[in-house]
Amino acid sequence: MATSRLVVAANRLAEEAGVQLGMARRAAEALCPGGVILDQDLAAEMARFEPVVRSVEDLVPRVEVAASGLAFVEVSGAMQYYGGEELLIERIAKELADLSREPPRLGVANGPFAARRAAELTEPGGVHAVVDDARFLATVGIEALSNEDLVATFRWLGITTLGELSRLPRPTVVSRFGQVGLMAHRLASGEDRSASPRPLPVDLAIEHRFEEPIEVLERAAFAARAAAAELVGALREHGSATHRVEVVAEAADGPERVRVWRSQDPFTESMLAERVWWQLRAWIEGGGVPGGLARLQISPADISGEGRQLGFLEDTVATIEAERALARAQAIVGPDRVLGAQPSGGRTPSERVQWHRWGEEPEPVETAPWPGAIPSPSPALVPPRRQRVDIEWDAGIPTRVRLRSRWEPVLNWAGPWRHTGRWWDGEPAADRFQLVTSAGAILCEVSAEAAYLVGVYD
Amino acid sequence: MAVALANGTDRPSRDDLAALIATHTTHLDVPQTLLRLDPGKIVALEGAYGTGLTRVGLSLLVEPSRRAPVAVVDARGWLSPLAAWEVGIEPGRLFVIREVELAEWSQVVAALLPGIGAVYAEVPAGISDGAVRRLAAIARRERSAMVLRPMGGRLPAGIGHLRIRAGSVEWEGADRGHGRLGRRALVIEASGKALGGMERAFEVEDDGKGAVHLVERLAAPPSRRFAG
Repeated sequence: MATSRLVVAANRLAEEAGVQLGMARRAAEALCPGGVILDQDLAAEMARFEPVVRSVEDLVPRVEVAASGLAFVEVSGAMQYYGGEELLIERIAKELADLSREPPRLGVANGPFAARRAAELTEPGGVHAVVDDARFLATVGIEALSNEDLVATFRWLGITTLGELSRLPRPTVVSRFGQVGLMAHRLASGEDRSASPRPLPVDLAIEHRFEEPIEVLERAAFAARAAAAELVGALREHGSATHRVEVVAEAADGPERVRVWRSQDPFTESMLAERVWWQLRAWIEGGGVPGGLARLQISPADISGEGRQLGFLEDTVATIEAERALARAQAIVGPDRVLGAQPSGGRTPSERVQWHRWGEEPEPVETAPWPGAIPSPSPALVPPRRQRVDIEWDAGIPTRVRLRSRWEPVLNWAGPWRHTGRWWDGEPAADRFQLVTSAGAILCEVSAEAAYLVGVYD
Repeated sequence: MAVALANGTDRPSRDDLAALIATHTTHLDVPQTLLRLDPGKIVALEGAYGTGLTRVGLSLLVEPSRRAPVAVVDARGWLSPLAAWEVGIEPGRLFVIREVELAEWSQVVAALLPGIGAVYAEVPAGISDGAVRRLAAIARRERSAMVLRPMGGRLPAGIGHLRIRAGSVEWEGADRGHGRLGRRALVIEASGKALGGMERAFEVEDDGKGAVHLVERLAAPPSRRFAG
């Protein structure tokens, strides 16, 4: 199973062939040419994780979900009720053992960051109880911090463990890396982020009631996005952000579901919309909202001043209004046609763009160098699928090209540049040319004796 | 004195053009604010695909994108954000509404205008002049800037604060199989209120490493014709 770029899960056969988690999808395809690669569906994963969360919630209230497969729960109160930490953990492990094929990994610590690292380091079915968070974290690798750029910089500076980072003077780290560095230093020192003592404004809860209860998933996605946009917008007006959000869904036939979602970084609109949608889908598909969703409420469970840092010229109000305008456009043409994009690895212009729906978090992209990529300037117009084009040749030299209905003489050209293609998939090699005509320049590809238009330098 | 700007192999080369203009032109001032997209202003880009007008249009969005997100209504679904990033628009600041059907086009642009500060929209053939005029009125009222690129035909007269038509285009860098496309020189004919009703020709340079820019001291003289 993979995202569009990276492998996130592999079965035994794939692992035996050399496939590893985190490997580039293409590398995995090369290792297993006959393998089937499934696309990762985070919402479906969340739906499968929902029974796990519910069973923990039956034992300890206020479970906080961070991602599918990762949940946190505050156990200090429940320990007294169950007669101690060990008994409580034993009980949770027993409950979860029957729910999944792979036994759960449990980590116990004073803060969620250390608890998560402890869970990651233990074997399936094991429990790792941390006594001293700072001492435990001192041996953990610096890559435990989620910020890839920061991790790369620390590595470049020779800092490889959280312990080494925590030993640096905090003011020095802050002066060099700012707020991000401060957060990293706190985490490395075993001081998890604590919510700001600022009081929660009561009116920040966003509530949507639906006269016609929602049973269709697409409608739930729209509802989630709208509510997330409102909440993040309201928080932004207060100059604040939140790391924990409570999602409440009331079913038309009675029951009310409550779940808290947590994020190490302050929730952005797209992050929040995604998580609310995952949660709603999990509840709807799991039969948790009989009769459909009649009321949706999301509210910040904490609030902090770690709002998004705006650029010098950036206008907050204009950004909010732009997001509303995009939401309106999305309501007209649907979610698949309002898109954002980010640079991606690849050799052709189309490979170098990764599209994502507006409002959804883009997937991480490969940043490896791509020798042989088509050089800049890039064609401004790239057809979604390459198009046949007629080219006349004279001893391998392009002489005329047919654009629309007219034959245009080729005034100049660059290439051919040979592209070997995915030979293991039967993809033939192709030669790429830049052709200059009096009507402009085009990028074309010649493979299997046919020429195709790949881009227009407009 | 007039300069021929035909699309043909017998057109003057860039050097010829520069020499011609330098010899005969007395008004060499190039209004550097010409390629600036101010709030409420509408720019019409007219010319065949391949001349470089998409990059001109994207370059107009660079400055507004520093303040707030900008949008492209990509009727055909061909626009490559790679070109937008190359001209200087940050990836997170550009949103594209792709493959918009004719029936939805006016609604989509109208929905974007009140919130998006700058919109680049391809105008599909078949959109009525009345619809374009209504959208222009919305843009002026909402103080949103709009760049319109007709996919066929021309836009209604007087719609744009600035109308840019593509003239000749010349590429440097490729040489009979060697090298690669590098710098493009595009001669544009500009007219409209932005030029006081005059029509003038300018050369625009696109080196692929940033926004396109007007070439200093390389402006054709006023043609002594007035736009309506």
